[in-house]
Amino acid sequence: MRTKPRFRSLAPFMLFALTTSAAIGVGVAHPRHPRPRREDDSAQKFNEGEKLFRARCGYCHLAGGTGTIMLGRRLGKDHALLDQRTDLTAAYVKTITRVGLNSMPPHTRIEVPDTELDLIAAFIARPASAHTPPASPPSTRATHE
Amino acid sequence: MPVVLPPNVSEKNFQKALDAFAGVVGRQWVLATDEDRYTYMDIYAPGDADEHIPSAAVGPQSAEEVQAIVRIANEYKIPLWPISRGKNLGYGAAAPEMPGTVVLDLGRMKRIIEVNERFGYCLIEPGVGFFDLFAHLQERKIPLWMSVPANAWGSVVGNALERGYGYTPYGENTRNICGLEVVLPSGEIVRTGTGAMSNSACWQLFKYGYGPSWDQAFVQSNYGVVTKMGMWLMPEPEATLGLKMQLPNPDDVGWAVDALQPLRLSGVLQQNPSIGNSLRVVATQTPRSQWYQGDGALPDDVLRTILSKYNLGWWGIDLRLYGYDEVNEAHAKIIKAAFAKHTKQEFEVTKWHRGEPIEDSGAGVPATRALQIINWRGGRGGHLGFSPVLPASSEHVLKQFHSTKKRYEEIGVDYYGSFTLFERYTTNVNMMVYDRDDQAMTSRVRNLFKVLVADAAKEGYSEYRTHLSYMDDVALSFDYNNHALRRLNETVKDALDPNGILAPGKQGIWPKAFRGSRA
Repeated sequence: MRTKPRFRSLAPFMLFALTTSAAIGVGVAHPRHPRPRREDDSAQKFNEGEKLFRARCGYCHLAGGTGTIMLGRRLGKDHALLDQRTDLTAAYVKTITRVGLNSMPPHTRIEVPDTELDLIAAFIARPASAHTPPASPPSTRATHE
Repeated sequence: MPVVLPPNVSEKNFQKALDAFAGVVGRQWVLATDEDRYTYMDIYAPGDADEHIPSAAVGPQSAEEVQAIVRIANEYKIPLWPISRGKNLGYGAAAPEMPGTVVLDLGRMKRIIEVNERFGYCLIEPGVGFFDLFAHLQERKIPLWMSVPANAWGSVVGNALERGYGYTPYGENTRNICGLEVVLPSGEIVRTGTGAMSNSACWQLFKYGYGPSWDQAFVQSNYGVVTKMGMWLMPEPEATLGLKMQLPNPDDVGWAVDALQPLRLSGVLQQNPSIGNSLRVVATQTPRSQWYQGDGALPDDVLRTILSKYNLGWWGIDLRLYGYDEVNEAHAKIIKAAFAKHTKQEFEVTKWHRGEPIEDSGAGVPATRALQIINWRGGRGGHLGFSPVLPASSEHVLKQFHSTKKRYEEIGVDYYGSFTLFERYTTNVNMMVYDRDDQAMTSRVRNLFKVLVADAAKEGYSEYRTHLSYMDDVALSFDYNNHALRRLNETVKDALDPNGILAPGKQGIWPKAFRGSRA
């Protein structure tokens, strides 16, 4: 007969996931006189983060994806597309990626290594000023459904 | 939280093995934090995820690294559970059968080594996902089509090794395997078929090689770690023709199977259509609470209201003909005539021609939207698949459908089933969708599963694939001559893997070292 493993509960993880607030705004003020070099660096970083977001998260989190549909149902259409959200912190994105949320499964460090997750989280949590204006058409996204 | 170590391994030796693994793959690819272990658990499991908790995971990047890991595992007697991308959702995901097993995660081995347009095949590593191969073919405009399962998040190799299927004429994915590279439990590397010649000209062309054929011995198996797979791909047809129909009554599935099976056998219909109940469509669009908040399974009258709102029948049929326009038209005529004997309804016909958007073609286009169903009950959704194989005839299909539906209703779970039709048999995938936070419900689901396995075994039906928690139950139903097949499987297992380090318990095959762990 198999002995029951000692490990009992995942509750500590779930609690951590749920109490990490998503509601903290990204009020990171842009420096008034940013050094151009640094801005280039962040733009480059967000760019890499966006590519990785599409590759690793895009299965479900682009337009028409299952994650987008579920988020839209739960939080409203304005909150459905992760890459257009302005209310998510990098820490929250990283935690949810690792522990999952509702029906979203957790992601291992082989599927999304820490270095990639840092870039993805920085992209999702980028300041509002770094967001593409909403008028820009989502032409490169999956458009079916 | 405490680590569940592999059986009979001391903490000290476990640590030594992890250090040795790190010496092969680098420290960053040995995953052994609490969070890491959690990411490899089956989160959709109905309350029994901790029965399959791994102790760690290790991620090699090449077949040579796999060999080195397997040798270390032998030295320290560490059991390994190979996964390709770990998306065996509904069947245990990335988790191992035996708690404490180390997951051998092949997700970093993502090379598409060759795609051959003329002969219609690819040679790929286990970490290649359906989306990766699809993007590769599309970006290079290679006119080869894939067979893709309903939820395509996973690995092409992993899915074929679990006997997954898609819906094109190449839909029986395990049948498309042609030539494997495998690391044996000893650490030795072998190539099957004609790949056993060091200069083989036909490795991905001729399946059988010389003497016994081994490809299928590594499918749903724990005899080796597949590090490369040859897989046949379908040439893009000139045209396709789609035939869709909604069947209004529950018993319509019977005559539909009887009408279609001879057409599958004769080759008029070359793909394997899925006849699914329409609740699966509704469940991807809306939450259950929108329709019904009472106790028990969704009542029939509520289901009728939902179906009529969406203009759906009880079952939906979606057939597709692939090839040349004239031939498709001729075959469509034969199918229509077969259906006209049973219904006055006409098929909704769609056509696709080469050059038009691939999404409308009936090609395998990867998507993950099928996963939507797990949100049906609300809360933290989970799902489990019960998938018996039956003869493709109304007699068997109707009996199994009614008996399964009744079992679901007895425990208050909504019936969600489909019959995928092959030439001679049909695979009846039944999903149980539940709220993981509702302990009473998950416990009822776990009991139901055992009852369904026993019911099916009485009728002489086996499962085509099953969840980790029921691998022993299903293996037990293969009882001819006092379980002679299990003795054969385990004789081979012990010969190839004397230390029992590779996937103990997979498909109910236990190596001598861990045979006491059999449920």
